[in-house]
Parts: sequence; C-alpha cells; structure tokens
Amino acid sequence: MEKKGDKAIKLTIESRLENVFLVGLAVKGICGHIRLSSEETYNMELCVVEAINNAIEHAYSSRPGHDVELTVRLDPNQIRFQVCDKGKSLTALRLQTPEIDATHGRGLYIIHTLMDEVTYHTSQGTNTLTMIKHWG
Amino acid sequence: MQMEDRIQGEVLLVKPLEERIDASMAGEFEARMIGWIRTGNRRLVLDLSGVFFIDSSGLGAIASALKTLGDQGRIAICGVSKTVKNLFQITRLDQLFVMCSSAEEAVEILNDWTEEDHGKEGRQSD
Repeated sequence: MEKKGDKAIKLTIESRLENVFLVGLAVKGICGHIRLSSEETYNMELCVVEAINNAIEHAYSSRPGHDVELTVRLDPNQIRFQVCDKGKSLTALRLQTPEIDATHGRGLYIIHTLMDEVTYHTSQGTNTLTMIKHWG
Repeated sequence: MQMEDRIQGEVLLVKPLEERIDASMAGEFEARMIGWIRTGNRRLVLDLSGVFFIDSSGLGAIASALKTLGDQGRIAICGVSKTVKNLFQITRLDQLFVMCSSAEEAVEILNDWTEEDHGKEGRQSD
C-alpha cells in the first residue's frame, strides 16, 4: 500500500530482451543509493532482470511491441519491485528447485531464493509479479 | 558477442569480452560454446573475469554446453566475481564445474585431467 513519504519510480520498456539491461542499470543505480551491499544490489538487479525476462519470454512469447512495466518503491525498511505485463498469465509460481543441470527454469527459483516476499496476481488482464526485500 | 579464444596445450581457453551475459545474448553464447565442443574441444576453460553480470539464461547456456560435452570432457570456470560465484552456489552449478581462481590454474588442472578422473564432480580449487 502506498504511504506518504514513499519514493517511487515507474519504468516501461518494449518487450525486447535487448532492452532489459537498461532497467537493470536503473535498479543498480537506485540500490546503490540505499543501504544495500554490492552483493545485495547485484541480487536485486538480477531478480528484476529475471522477472522482466519472464514477462517477455513467457507472457509475450518473445514478441516485441508490448509494454513491460517496472515500479520501484522505496520504503524506510524495504524496497519493492512490481513487474507488470498484459500477456499470458503464469499458471503457478514454480517453487521447486530446478534440476542441477537444467538448461532453463532457474529464473523464478533465483527470485524466490534472493527475495524476502514474492507474490503474483492477475487483475483485469494485468499480471503483476511483486518482489520485496527488507532490511533493518 | 565478442569472445576471445586460444589453445593452451590440450585446453581451449575462452574469454567473453562482454560485461553482461544475459538473455539477449545467451543464445549466441551457447551456440559458440557448443560449436567449440562439436569441433572436438574436450577441455574448456571459461574465463569470466570480464563478466560482471550473468542471469539465468547465461547460466543455462553454460549448463547446455556441459550437457553437450557430457562425460567426454571437462569445463573449468575461472575469474568469477564474488556476486557471480554466489549465483553459481545458489543454483548449485558450482558442483558441476571445476571452479578455479585463475585461468592459469584452470588450464593446468584441465591439462592434467585424464578420463580416469570421470566422476570427480565439483572439484573446488580455491
């Protein structure tokens, strides 16, 4: 829930994998200004990149021309990322550990491992993956 | 995707010259790695010292190269940053590769590797 004093930014890219690093760089910059270590900053960038990759590759089946939106919200004790798309919904958040030698399917596992809270919901045609990291 | 490759003894040393290996280039990276394996290279060192960011697609490409190689050879990885190393550990991929702290060490280990070494998975040398 939005609270007075929260700081937020919204970024939108077209659904092309070549664009994803730009969002990653923005997340890295934001995390660099808060009390996250370089390792945690990397992890936040990685999770956002994984979430956006999933939206492009699965929700939009790698088709360009669609919007993927990231909202980053800074609270005093947490950072929250929301990745939204209007494509095909995930049927379930895969919580199982991927096979050690799997060539695909590590993205959501990484997100679940590195984030404190992960939720996914679909409302009025918009899929939203929310990822939260706490500190303090 | 820019990559450097050179033979050192029995070993092919491969070094990506990109700071990021992400989903936009994982396919090309995977194809290059598999191409080297299919042309007969059985001992590969992947030097990631210039790579500061890798995502699950990049990891998947490396895993795919290892699957292509099967038990016909080995892949050693060196030069990983602390953050990339952490990602290998989280995904347990560090158990599948020979993880080395330097290219020199990795080349030496793979040049000494023999087929009798099959089954000694996940040698850690740092």
